[in-house]
Amino acid sequence: MADALLQPQAAPDAAAPPVLDMRGIARSYGATVAVRRVSFDIRPGEIHALLGENGAGKSTVVKVLSGIVAPDSGTVALNGRPYAPASPMAARAAGVSTAFQELSLLPNLSIAENLLLPRQAKGAAGLVSIAQGEARAAQMLDAYGLGHIHPGVLVRALSLADKQRVEIMRAVARQPRLLVLDEPTAALSDPGWLFEILERITAAGTGVLYISHRLSEVRRLCRRGTVLRNGESIETVSLDGIDDAGIFRLMVGAAARTAQTARREPKREVAEAFGVTHLAGGTVKDITLSVGVGEIVGVAGLEGQGQRDLFRMLAGVMPAGSGQIRVQGRPVRIASPADAARVGIGFVPEERKTEGLFLGLRTDINMTLPVLGRLGRFGVVDRAREQAVVAREAERVDLAARYLKLKIGALSGGNQQKALIGRVLAAGPRHLVLFDPTRGVDVGTKAVIYDLIRAFVDQGGAALVYSTELAELIHLVDRCVVVYGGRVAGEASGDALSEARLVALAAGHGV
Amino acid sequence: MQTSPASSGRDAALRPEPLVRRLLGDGTTIIIAILVVLTVVFAATQSDALSASVLTDILNNSLPLALAAAGGTLVVVTRGFDLSVAGVVSLSNVLVAVHGGSGPLGALEGALIAAGAGAAVGAVNGYFVAYWNLQSIALTLATMIVCSGMTLLILDAPGGDVSDFMTYTMTDRIGGVVPVALAIAVAVYVVWRLLRRTDWGVGLYAAGADETAALLAGVPVRRVKLIAYVLAGVCYGLAGFMLTALTSTGTPNVGEPYLLLAFAAIALGGTSFAGGRGGVAGSMLGALTLTLLQKVLFSTGVSSFYTGIFQGVVMIAAVVVAVLFARIGTRGEAHA
Amino acid sequence: MTQAPLTGNGRPADTRGGAGARGWLGRLDRDVRTALALFAISFGLVIASRVLGPNFGSLAQMKAILVISCFLMVVAFGQQMVILLGGLDLSVASMMTLGGVLAFKWVGGSDGAVLWGVPAILAVTAALGALSGAGVSLLKIPPFIMTLAMGVILYGATLGFTQGTPSGQPSAPLSALFANTAFGTPILYLMVLAVVAGCFVQTRTSFGRKVYALGTNPTAAYVAALPVHRLTIATYAISGASAGLAGILMLGYVRGVTLTLGQSYLLPSVAAVVVGGTSIIGGRGIYAGAAAGAVLLTTLSTIVDSLGIAEGWRTIIYGAVIFAALVLLRDDLAQLLGRRRRTQETSQNNP
Repeated sequence: MADALLQPQAAPDAAAPPVLDMRGIARSYGATVAVRRVSFDIRPGEIHALLGENGAGKSTVVKVLSGIVAPDSGTVALNGRPYAPASPMAARAAGVSTAFQELSLLPNLSIAENLLLPRQAKGAAGLVSIAQGEARAAQMLDAYGLGHIHPGVLVRALSLADKQRVEIMRAVARQPRLLVLDEPTAALSDPGWLFEILERITAAGTGVLYISHRLSEVRRLCRRGTVLRNGESIETVSLDGIDDAGIFRLMVGAAARTAQTARREPKREVAEAFGVTHLAGGTVKDITLSVGVGEIVGVAGLEGQGQRDLFRMLAGVMPAGSGQIRVQGRPVRIASPADAARVGIGFVPEERKTEGLFLGLRTDINMTLPVLGRLGRFGVVDRAREQAVVAREAERVDLAARYLKLKIGALSGGNQQKALIGRVLAAGPRHLVLFDPTRGVDVGTKAVIYDLIRAFVDQGGAALVYSTELAELIHLVDRCVVVYGGRVAGEASGDALSEARLVALAAGHGV
Repeated sequence: MQTSPASSGRDAALRPEPLVRRLLGDGTTIIIAILVVLTVVFAATQSDALSASVLTDILNNSLPLALAAAGGTLVVVTRGFDLSVAGVVSLSNVLVAVHGGSGPLGALEGALIAAGAGAAVGAVNGYFVAYWNLQSIALTLATMIVCSGMTLLILDAPGGDVSDFMTYTMTDRIGGVVPVALAIAVAVYVVWRLLRRTDWGVGLYAAGADETAALLAGVPVRRVKLIAYVLAGVCYGLAGFMLTALTSTGTPNVGEPYLLLAFAAIALGGTSFAGGRGGVAGSMLGALTLTLLQKVLFSTGVSSFYTGIFQGVVMIAAVVVAVLFARIGTRGEAHA
Repeated sequence: MTQAPLTGNGRPADTRGGAGARGWLGRLDRDVRTALALFAISFGLVIASRVLGPNFGSLAQMKAILVISCFLMVVAFGQQMVILLGGLDLSVASMMTLGGVLAFKWVGGSDGAVLWGVPAILAVTAALGALSGAGVSLLKIPPFIMTLAMGVILYGATLGFTQGTPSGQPSAPLSALFANTAFGTPILYLMVLAVVAGCFVQTRTSFGRKVYALGTNPTAAYVAALPVHRLTIATYAISGASAGLAGILMLGYVRGVTLTLGQSYLLPSVAAVVVGGTSIIGGRGIYAGAAAGAVLLTTLSTIVDSLGIAEGWRTIIYGAVIFAALVLLRDDLAQLLGRRRRTQETSQNNP
């Protein structure tokens, strides 16, 4: 893909002091130890990877570097000088800039206002000048290849991908000494834009801390990486000299269950479980696809090509515009999530924190919510039956029992996702519709989720899965539909099911 | 694959919303429309409706509420609820009635006392909400109660001595043409527009939308909120000051109805209680609308027993319309 | 959100029951602890008031205070349910007045009328509450405005059909609830029952659980196919009925009604809920807390009222105690006393 763009990194200058030198950092929140001993360094012009499962301590490292929290112990040096920012602003002033995983843009402000926060461009009489602000912002946008976006646009009108680009751009534009990128490509299906920028700034000596689950990207960009596990930095490795299995071993502490298994046999003629014909609405122009009983059908595509609205229509979260939705051969009208549940569709939404989970409630309460009606009489919940259901679901999704009584907000991303899927399964759906179920989820949990989906269809269900991780998608699905421009660009199955083919279709090249 | 994001098939250029869309979604437009309708009804039912004296009278009557609603708007934008408006209006009303001097200088003195009292209460509110993380609705409820207690200590029955300047000149017209109330309202609005174009103003809306993101961007959220509460308090104080001019007396619990009316005006004006959206203009117009509504109901001969029903129905209708238009106005907002 | 970091968390395995992580049951304990603390403070206040004179600090006075706190307790249940949902009910004052006025007319005078009159009034107030709920849920009207408008409309209607003077008669069965019998005062037993039942409905019924969920995350509730509209309408209906019931009880105690009988219960109903530990944004809190808050506020106002000092000072003391309760019952008080340096806490969803 973007291989040709990125030259192998020139050896970083070994004589100059490291851009970042972190030694023995520890930080706890009350009784919870987030990080117990993290040490690593980043050389000038180096893109250094930070690897680890969810809960390993990566986000705490980001917070320490960004001035959001102070470490309990340990030292950090920036370009050889002690670095202990008292606030995010102080961190910025010292030359550390972060693009956060949870995008930190204000939706009700324009791009220009966001870029210039906290001090806007001033004009006459010291008052904020919108014109000057937008001019400055336009310059920045142009300089980073985003000239197609008008700086006066409110951030909430942007697509998720553009928001991510602006977030990254904002961090880079501050010309930091150290750039921290936390899952920067999560919403970008084409990271070439970012790679170009990184090439530019590392040539000038800026150090980059790169956090990503996508090993292929990490290998392309980084020479060294530090693996965190249980809040400790286990080892800093040279990425050339270690294979994926080796990295997983370091992350998990044992031989990891890889997500790779034999590619499935393409199914022959099967009855249709559910499907859509000429479906349109939102960003969907005209999509026709079908999922057979016992099949896993994948959906791939660049962001914003209609896949999100397709899934939302199937789930009833968004009303269908026109076209037909069929479940078990019969046309149905899905106007609400309740309708979808009624026809046996179980939906795993994209953003578990905002659309899926009730963070303030206990895990087991979360998991039984949809089936409460069946767990007792006269509306009273039968505790014994509830516990039985919870235990069964937890086992099914490989969620350790000790997490069940905790508030679900305290669980790691992977465990939260497992609990969410458990809840969806508890309602007994026959058709699963999952949107990016492995986003922000660690390697071990990914394998569990894929196994879950396989087990589900093996028992006679059907699944439609959208994922941005093509490498894993092709190992999971029987066939894959690619969407482009709100339509089906093509389909691939069997031998034709390869990453290259999917990528080509997704870019609109019907090879 | 190409690296330019523009190749992914979306529109080549993302422009800000078209004007019509923006107007529809802006709550101020709705309230102006409602106001126009009400004015027409009013003019139809009362013969001297559009005379200078009647208009001045309406403006005088709505100014205290408009000021209170303006102050409350600042807090609502930060996703807070400031219930102390009732207490501060009463407190400042009583303070001005008792301690206000005579003549223009006395009026100025009264205004300063009122603004100062409001600022002090606002500072307490803002400090505990912003720096101690107390829930604003609960805290301001407590300060409101304390304020009403202080009011009773100063004056436990209607009374006080309000100067003629206050009673007559403040409620009159400048040069016989421009009502003082209108001038004050415009002045307040102008100050607001200026404040809106400061770092604080931008920070206010940022903090209201997403405090965490605002903090990360370097906005001094706690200070921004504190200032919002203080300015709100000043507005409430001035509302009480103008109320003294209007009623020409100090009344200990005069501020009570202002609590619900101020928030009604804010909602009518299109400010969202979810924070990050709205403005002072809408709220002030909302206050004018509510006052005018009362006059209209009176002049159409609706029995005073039933005015309540009409007020309530109009409030609901206005908000439904506002919400509807707001949704039309924001419908185009994209998702991936 | 004062304990949890901005994104991501520490490993749950290392969590040893820290206040933020210990699930809902842990939180239940905290809420019950708050409730007990409030009851204790009320108790303490009454005892302490002995210094004011021989009539104070007695068991009889404590009983009397408990009895008159029943009205606020009942209203607070409905208010709390609505607040748990993330809303607010400003119509409770008018609803309560309506309940009392209707009881005066329909229930008063004949003993048997209680049997059909009370359910009828509850049905009416529930229906009106349901209307508010429909406005909030279906028409997306902000609860503040919807219930405010409903309250204004109801008051106007009540004013209208009574023409300013409610007519009717006291009701013997209702008054009997407040009579001092050999076994105590009946209303007290009912109150205990009510607290237990209220907590039960909230935590052990499917309806209550769903209300918590809806209040915690409305988007997720919709995606999870919870019946959002039905839940909202039902909750506001419950609030209407609670306020109506309070009005009916008021008739039993006062033996007469005025058009302002509900007026002084609006803000205290919110205060009782909040002081009792319920979060104003919803999803957290239990009825025992709100009931305890109601008792504390009633105790406070009773004692303060009999202090024989200027009304102004009495009001100030009342407000100051509420303020103190808020400060002392904060979630993150422990953390505040502990480590404050260089950690930016924000009141992210704190209205």
